[in-house]
Amino acid sequence: MPVQFAAKRLGKELSKIQNGLPPGIELVSADNLEEWFLDIKVLDNNPLYLNETYRLKFRFSQSYPIEPPEVVFVKQADRPIPIHPHIYSNGIICLDLLGQQGWSPVQSVESVCMSLQSMLTGNTKNERPPGDEEFVRGNKQRPKDIEFYYHDNTV
Amino acid sequence: MKVKIKKWNAVATWRWDLPEDDVCGICQVHFDGTCPTCKYPGDECSLLSGKCGHNFHMHCILEWIKQDSAKGQCPMCRQKFEWNGRPNATETTQGQMLAET
Repeated sequence: MPVQFAAKRLGKELSKIQNGLPPGIELVSADNLEEWFLDIKVLDNNPLYLNETYRLKFRFSQSYPIEPPEVVFVKQADRPIPIHPHIYSNGIICLDLLGQQGWSPVQSVESVCMSLQSMLTGNTKNERPPGDEEFVRGNKQRPKDIEFYYHDNTV
Repeated sequence: MKVKIKKWNAVATWRWDLPEDDVCGICQVHFDGTCPTCKYPGDECSLLSGKCGHNFHMHCILEWIKQDSAKGQCPMCRQKFEWNGRPNATETTQGQMLAET
């Protein structure tokens, strides 16, 4: 995979982002072609996420977009980790489109943010994934190396 | 008035026979441009058209298809990606005349 592939594609995405993003999605920083930060908000009145803003960290490999980016929520004073049965309290997200099996190279930073917005919008469960505490305590792996076990596919 | 043509140069342009604002979904570059690894558009960096109706730069879709995780599927619709041959290039030719009166 030629090195400039990821760089050129990210350059394209960045210039599109700078011309505007969908409502509730904002670029925080994109200082290099390895790590970007974006803020997302849930736009409806879902009480679980009302008036909150969540920060996402994207990490891109040189094989992006053939390989998925690594996407996690990051916690800051005013940026909690959203409660969701597929989001661990350390910010790791269990979402098929971010894994090797569900990823497609036509996805983008913008489309991933929109998928996460809708994943939150549609959720009614005020829960963490089963085994969250042990997972967060024991996990030293990068998200892409984790074999997620999907406890339920109804959310 | 009599015009005598002394010399003329033919100039041709081409483009892929696809909607003008269409981009390759993988690299997000216009189809009339090249994939990120090539310098010259056209025959050297051609397009592949899937039977499902989705088009990509050939080099882009091959990068994807060679991944195990692609499972041979179109990145757009996840149907099996089978190519359909290349979209046609439309050519327009204009004559440029140097006329002498």
